Amino acid sequence: MKSLKAFTFIALLAFVFILSACSSDSEAGGEGNGEEASEDTIKLTMGSWRTEDKESYQKVIDKFQEENPNIEIEFKPSKNTEYNTILNTALKSGEGPDIIHLRPYAPGIELADNGYLEPIDDLEGLDKFPESSLAASKGSDGKQYGVPLNISTTQIFYNKKIFEELNLEEPQTWEEFMEINKTLKEEGYTPLSLGTKEGWLLSLAHGMIGPAHYGANEFVDNITAGETSFTSDKFVNSIKAMDELKPYMPENYEGLGMEDIRTMFFTGDSAMFPMGSWEIEVLREMNPDLELDFFPMPSAVGKEPTVTTWVDGSYAINANSENKEAAKKFLQFMTTEEFGTMFTEEFKMISAIPGIESEDQLVNDLGKAADENSTPYMVLVHFAGGNPSTKTTIETELQGMYLGERTPEQVAEAVQKNAESWYKPLQK
Amino acid sequence: MQLATDSAKEVKKQKKRNWKRWSIHLFPIPALIIYGLFVVYPLFAALTYSFFDWNGMVRGDFVGLKNFKDLFTLEPFSGYFWNAFGHNILYFVLQMIFQNGLAFALAYIIFKKIRGAEFLKISYFLPRLLSVIVVGFLWKLILNPNYGALNVLLEKIGLGHLQEAWLGDPDTALIAIILVNSWYGLGFGVLIFLAGFQSIPKELMEAGKLDGATGLAMVRKILIPLMIPSIMIMTVLTFIQSFEAFELVYAMQGSQGEPYHSTDTLAVYFYRLAFGGSTGGSTTAVGLGSALAVVLFLFISIFTGLYLKYMQKKQVDM
Amino acid sequence: MKHTFWTKPFYYVFAFFIASISLYPILLMILSSFKSSAEIFTSPLAFPKSFTLETYKNLLDQIPFMQYFLNSTIVSVVSVSLILITSSLAAFYIARFTFYWNNMLFFFFLMGMMLPIKLGIVPLFILMKDLNLLNTLWALIFMYTATGIPISVLILTGFFRTMPHELEEAARIDGAGNLRILWNVVLPLMRPALGTVMILQFIQSWNDFFFPLVFITDEMKKTIPVGMLSLFGQYSADWGALFAGLTLASLPMIVLFFIASKQFMEGLTQGAIK
Repeated sequence: MKSLKAFTFIALLAFVFILSACSSDSEAGGEGNGEEASEDTIKLTMGSWRTEDKESYQKVIDKFQEENPNIEIEFKPSKNTEYNTILNTALKSGEGPDIIHLRPYAPGIELADNGYLEPIDDLEGLDKFPESSLAASKGSDGKQYGVPLNISTTQIFYNKKIFEELNLEEPQTWEEFMEINKTLKEEGYTPLSLGTKEGWLLSLAHGMIGPAHYGANEFVDNITAGETSFTSDKFVNSIKAMDELKPYMPENYEGLGMEDIRTMFFTGDSAMFPMGSWEIEVLREMNPDLELDFFPMPSAVGKEPTVTTWVDGSYAINANSENKEAAKKFLQFMTTEEFGTMFTEEFKMISAIPGIESEDQLVNDLGKAADENSTPYMVLVHFAGGNPSTKTTIETELQGMYLGERTPEQVAEAVQKNAESWYKPLQK
Repeated sequence: MQLATDSAKEVKKQKKRNWKRWSIHLFPIPALIIYGLFVVYPLFAALTYSFFDWNGMVRGDFVGLKNFKDLFTLEPFSGYFWNAFGHNILYFVLQMIFQNGLAFALAYIIFKKIRGAEFLKISYFLPRLLSVIVVGFLWKLILNPNYGALNVLLEKIGLGHLQEAWLGDPDTALIAIILVNSWYGLGFGVLIFLAGFQSIPKELMEAGKLDGATGLAMVRKILIPLMIPSIMIMTVLTFIQSFEAFELVYAMQGSQGEPYHSTDTLAVYFYRLAFGGSTGGSTTAVGLGSALAVVLFLFISIFTGLYLKYMQKKQVDM
Repeated sequence: MKHTFWTKPFYYVFAFFIASISLYPILLMILSSFKSSAEIFTSPLAFPKSFTLETYKNLLDQIPFMQYFLNSTIVSVVSVSLILITSSLAAFYIARFTFYWNNMLFFFFLMGMMLPIKLGIVPLFILMKDLNLLNTLWALIFMYTATGIPISVLILTGFFRTMPHELEEAARIDGAGNLRILWNVVLPLMRPALGTVMILQFIQSWNDFFFPLVFITDEMKKTIPVGMLSLFGQYSADWGALFAGLTLASLPMIVLFFIASKQFMEGLTQGAIK
């Protein structure tokens, strides 16, 4: 009988909760009506994977509203790893946010090619951006779909204190770079904070180390024209160079992920950290005493040292949005210098708008170095298509190499084979 | 007249009896409606995707069985398939041993009335209360090669040479994940088996004792046959869950089943195909993904069906 | 059953050893939430040097935790009730009658477990949109009920079958209808199975984060796991805060379990069929 009581109790509870669930629903409906009353206000939603930037975006939106009091924007980020699933599902069902944060290059362009985005060729201010930045969100039809938001760069961060202690200088050539690695190791430091547990770290590292060996932009031009291949000596050398770094990576490197290598660097266990510009803020926050500096990747083939750059995100308009004009206004705001300055200050990232100076010395230097001698993050910018993508393939294969399952030649071969399966210029 | 009302009464009674007999068929209806609308309908609507060509997220032409053919003949897809399939089998076997075997033994010990049974039951079950994401995070930290509790512990008890990059070494990564899954699911197994032990009529146990069955013989001859319902439940559940293994792998090793696909499972592979990578670095292949789901479904349903049939026969035989 | 002299001690050592493995990581999680990141890295096993609730306060200031908690409670309680009602009706039908389609029906219910439900997410999204359920707790309630039915039917059918037929026959001769038999005869005897299903489904609907991520965009309709997830992104480098977040996400469930466990475990040990 006891169970009967329990069961009745549960059923009763259920009833009460159903009631309360209903009433809270109707309340919400009431709220909505209330807002509709103030007719002229247009409500926009904005989707993104940057949950960590919520506060900063709010400031940007507030600024925008000063000039556009009748447009309300709600920033609704979702979890990074599920963002694509959520966005794709909503778009396929004719829903989704009005303003969409686009992943750079192939995945974002896929959305444009599938007709989910509104072309914005006529948007004022787009002409500010260099062609290379616009390419991150240019559809296959040649139309522009997104406003580039920020530039990310990769370079080697280093611990100034350790370098001073050992009298080390920023390297100008690959040989000098390897010499520094050797010295650091002899002195008991882990030279390079790099782990292989997460594949993306490897394509990121190759994006930096690769150009030093395949000869940066010249090779990129050649391969995108189909004039060379991934099995060419130049590219194979770039993979071999990754292999040569093995002795200078941490012990147990195969088990280390992003958090681990970051921690090793800011605690001073390791001296150099091949990483992206977005980590500057995190590193400073974790260890305010860290003396942080960077150097561009020195070349092994007698070229200038390079900083690897790419557009790390753009903003686009949902083709199904009911308020495209209002959304366009916001996108236009995102092309202004006012926004660019605010973005650099608030987000501590490099704005995609050219010529915006940052008050932060390091970020500023980085921006300058990137202007002077940059090379694209090749596998992301040009080879993120295909299924599995060439980018994913190089990540997996490099992982295999570090685990001793693959030789550099085999890695190059697998990459070539994958690229041939979808990349037109290489299909001959 | 009298006769007429009598027969009317009779009809009414008959109707009532008929209603009573027929009303039983209403019992599964509520479950069928909710389950049919929110599970069966969307899944089968999505299964039809596998017969179409997909251009990104837009459906193209009907292509018949082409996606299925590609899945099994086109590299690297077929390689990924068999690699993941092997991992799923290992997943099932090790789960049966480490989760269910252990759970059976522990349930038996608790059933034998040892002191602290309450505490034990609660302890075993506690991990099951956590969200899988929490479990993944937690164990990633514990298994971390440099700062993780396990390696530090090994060092402290003088077994430093056993230290490993548990989740980074392809030889240990999958096994580590399966063990974490067993840690998570152990308590549920204990509960099911305990409920099973407690459903065994006392007389049967007594009878077994009188026959002089002891120890292992008792377990084999009396307990296991009587435990068939709970063994069946756990086996079917573990089988299905092993072949649908996704969340823990995804939380701990990402959508590529890293490192080097050594922890890839069919469901993770499916997710990768249907939704792209976890960091948005990849495009999607909806057709192939759906075809994979169909194959997975056929495989699981055939084996589950055969197993259930076999167990039912066994139960009838008893 | 005869015991050799070492059997009992062995039982104890074995059972408590496994229990410590079960408990230790959870303890570690709670302890780590009081540490600073640096402390976690340098001495992961040690007790925290000082106990401060600052991290927790910080986290709670940023999110409407009580609203999340209320939403989670509503969703879990309603879906568990619906699951118990619908599944026991269906399982009773499958287990206690022998219509020739029963096996097929049983199998039909199991099929729901054999496909990744994520596969159907686009048709589901459109369905929810058409039913006007997007951004409501009802979307979650229906999803958890529907996805909970297969495993519940499996467990309940398995246990319902073990019940001797005599009890039911007696009630039937007394003129009891099917509903009365289920309610008065079967369910009271099936407390362990019902309890297992109840707790299992409660955990499932409490901890899921996938459906709320897709169906809910309104901050005030989010459930605890989703609400906490948005915090994880912010603190990916601050492990102390991360552990506090993990503990916060898990705590309500653990507390609820301790409150309910006495009732629940008692139900289990009393046993069903003697």
